[in-house]
Amino acid sequence: MKQIISCRVNGEARDALGAGSETLLEFLRDGLGLTGTKEGCSNGNCGSCTVLMDGAPVCACLVLAGEADGAEITTIEGVAKGNDLHPVQAALVAHGGTQCGFCTPGIVLSAVALLERTPNPNEQEIRHAIAGNLCRCTGYDKIVEAIADAASTSTRTP
Amino acid sequence: MSATDSRDLRVVGKRVPRVDAGERVTGRAIYPADLVRPGMVVGRVKRSTQAHARLLSIDTSKAKALKGVLAVVTADDFPEIAPNTIIPFGETGADTWVSAVIVMARGRVLWRGQPVAAVAAVDRATADAALDLIEVAYEPLPAVMDIQAATRPDAPLLYPDLKPKGFDGVPAVRNAASRTVISRGDTTAALASAAAVGEARTVIDTGHQGYIEPHACVAESDPTGNVTLWVSSQGGFQTEIQTAVILGIPQSRLKVVPLEIGGGFGGKITVHLEPIAAKLALLCGRPVKMVMSREELLSGGSGPAAAARIDVRVGADQDGKLTAIDGQYVFDTGGIPGTPTTLLMQASAACYQCPSLELDGYDVMTNKPRTEAYRGPGGIQAAYAVEQAMDEVALKLNLDPLELRRRNAAVTGSLMPIGTAFPPIGLTNILDAVAGHACWRDPLGTGALPRGRGLALGYWRGTSMTSAAHVTIAGDGRVMVTMGSVDISGTRTTMAQVAAEEMQLPLADVYVAMGDTKSSGYSDAAAGSRLARTMAAAVAFACQDALAQLKERAAQRMQCTAAAVTYGDGVFRTSDDGGASISIFDLMRATLTDGAIIGRGVSTKLPLGVEIGAHVVDVEVDPETGQVTVLRYTAFQDVGRALNPAAVEGQIEGSVVQGLGWALTEGFDYGEDGRLRNASLLDYRILTALDVPPIEVVLIETPVPNVPYGVRGVGEMPIVPPAAAVANAIRRAVGVRVNYMPMTPERVRAAIRKAHG
Repeated sequence: MKQIISCRVNGEARDALGAGSETLLEFLRDGLGLTGTKEGCSNGNCGSCTVLMDGAPVCACLVLAGEADGAEITTIEGVAKGNDLHPVQAALVAHGGTQCGFCTPGIVLSAVALLERTPNPNEQEIRHAIAGNLCRCTGYDKIVEAIADAASTSTRTP
Repeated sequence: MSATDSRDLRVVGKRVPRVDAGERVTGRAIYPADLVRPGMVVGRVKRSTQAHARLLSIDTSKAKALKGVLAVVTADDFPEIAPNTIIPFGETGADTWVSAVIVMARGRVLWRGQPVAAVAAVDRATADAALDLIEVAYEPLPAVMDIQAATRPDAPLLYPDLKPKGFDGVPAVRNAASRTVISRGDTTAALASAAAVGEARTVIDTGHQGYIEPHACVAESDPTGNVTLWVSSQGGFQTEIQTAVILGIPQSRLKVVPLEIGGGFGGKITVHLEPIAAKLALLCGRPVKMVMSREELLSGGSGPAAAARIDVRVGADQDGKLTAIDGQYVFDTGGIPGTPTTLLMQASAACYQCPSLELDGYDVMTNKPRTEAYRGPGGIQAAYAVEQAMDEVALKLNLDPLELRRRNAAVTGSLMPIGTAFPPIGLTNILDAVAGHACWRDPLGTGALPRGRGLALGYWRGTSMTSAAHVTIAGDGRVMVTMGSVDISGTRTTMAQVAAEEMQLPLADVYVAMGDTKSSGYSDAAAGSRLARTMAAAVAFACQDALAQLKERAAQRMQCTAAAVTYGDGVFRTSDDGGASISIFDLMRATLTDGAIIGRGVSTKLPLGVEIGAHVVDVEVDPETGQVTVLRYTAFQDVGRALNPAAVEGQIEGSVVQGLGWALTEGFDYGEDGRLRNASLLDYRILTALDVPPIEVVLIETPVPNVPYGVRGVGEMPIVPPAAAVANAIRRAVGVRVNYMPMTPERVRAAIRKAHG
């Protein structure tokens, strides 16, 4: 049974046919070709598929595509404005906060969501915000430093 | 050896962001699972449901008849590979028979999750439905699930016809494939007369590399039988040669294209899906994508890190000088023989000068997935035992554990366990750095719970193998480097630094590509902490070769001899004739069509890049719950020279946290039926950002002579000491040794209960 799913993805209206059993992750990757969202475990343990659904971080593998009908979805492809990186992305580049890069899209989305609700997080709040995103390369330090740096950059008064 | 040794470095040694970081933070980096090819279909694997069984029959007729199924394969579709089919790999070669058995079971299954068949179908649902229609008849055989069960005198033999190696004149240990001994002096007498003997008897569960990207590949064939494989692998050439042998096709028909790798850590050297995908693509004429699920990957689809039982005794005299190290190292290789123990035994005793050694290693087979490399393979387990025994010596002699290490530290020229002299090493400098550092000098502080501080050393070999690169010069004088290797740890970035340094050009004037197996020279896999240092040498040689050719060309333009041409900062100059000059830009603009400049660089059998480090950890232990909290962690390491300190720190920090994971939470839990009971990343628990403190890294630089830039290996050593350091910290916090790894809360609590009633 296929159904039409209509949602806004990265600010653009998208309609696509999806099977009822299809996850949001499959819809994004296979249906829309947005492969920046990664599949690491398919059961919500690794956080690699983190996207924002109506502003809140969710594991796209745990959401049925049908549940996203009418929702506003932000994937990694929608975080930078053209070639202008979001401060979180720029800081991850500058701090060496990405190594193999597979967890990076999910980390970016979790961090973006954190800074939306907590513009000046402390270290513990940063670690808590990305605790659902497993990274096997970095040991997390350079990611945590990058997010802290992004926060101070974003909130600096002009 | 490098052109730049005599002057200050301008690009090498600087903190440089990864050249590919932009595509990573925007989701544009392409891993095999992201690749889409026209007409692409899905490949899936049918896996054994038995831990040990004879394969009586595999009926694929119903699966083949299912609409949408394009091809079905079993072992019958691949040529049979004999044991000891050795292909080139590094200094030792590799047995493709092992890879072939990992890829597809033939005649019998040796672990649950071993592939028995595979299908290609139009979509995932059809492929999975086809797997269910494949009927496999098993005749179950008795299985052994751990070292203890496998080595009982009445245990069923996994390989009744195998002649165990190394048991000259003594009865073989049951199910052992080999025994290796490193022996020097008389440990029995030395231990009998020692003033103190420290002992550790340890049991280590199977661990996993835990790369976040599951195994994946795409294979595509053309009607003439050429196959292209897009892979996530630590070695493009290793993938090509293994796949070609397993398929029985010439390497000239196979091109392996490395894409981005979402972590490997040793687990992506051996092929798993690649030969299956290639065979399915050849059979059905459509591109085939294969992606493992996490559960498949953990439950027999990949090669985990070996479980072990290691018992060690370390003897010392009254002055704290070591007199003996005596150890029995039993490693669980899984269902296929061939996990050598020499390297890890050497690693376990390498940090110390000790007159007598008796290191006795066994490679034991069980009905578990064949183990594969994991960062410093075996070194973690071995250090867990030896460094705890060292700590016991310190406690018995009432000697500071750092002082004990200082009195016995290996130095340049002292004898390694394998009997050769140490090349230049900086262990003494490392120990001095620890002694002067706040992590060692600061008081532990007090909290609500008992605290302890632990120290452990680590060693890893830092191998060479071979690397190749070539350099071409563009029509505007810019530099293009093609590596024969993949990029697994920021290699493109560090090699761009090396090329910029050698060519005396800005970093932005260099482009570095991962070559595929048809556009680059043979390089061994990224393994053994070798790639950055040997590829740096290859790139340096290639740049020097290109510069020599450019000088010839510049000499012609300036009408002088090549010997009279000097080069600096992008400009060729002649000392003849009033000092003419030409920039590399103008030279290439003028002479590009005279023919390509191709600089060639190959590095082989470089001197060892020995990695040594010391780790200090503070922990807090809750005696009620057994919970261990890591409060502070400092890692000291001699890296020879850090090509890119940001990347080096990143390697060390990540390696430490992996080590802490196996130390505290990560271990495979097998049932008697051979089923992995914790086959998810929830139950096989990798550490999160909340579980670890910041990792402080202290770099020490003792360059390796006769290696360009003096680079040592970096990535493997830092995973070696963490478990031992944590064990020593727990001992000093609550007075007990857990002796089981991972040191989970229930095991810590049980050890405390046992000791204190």
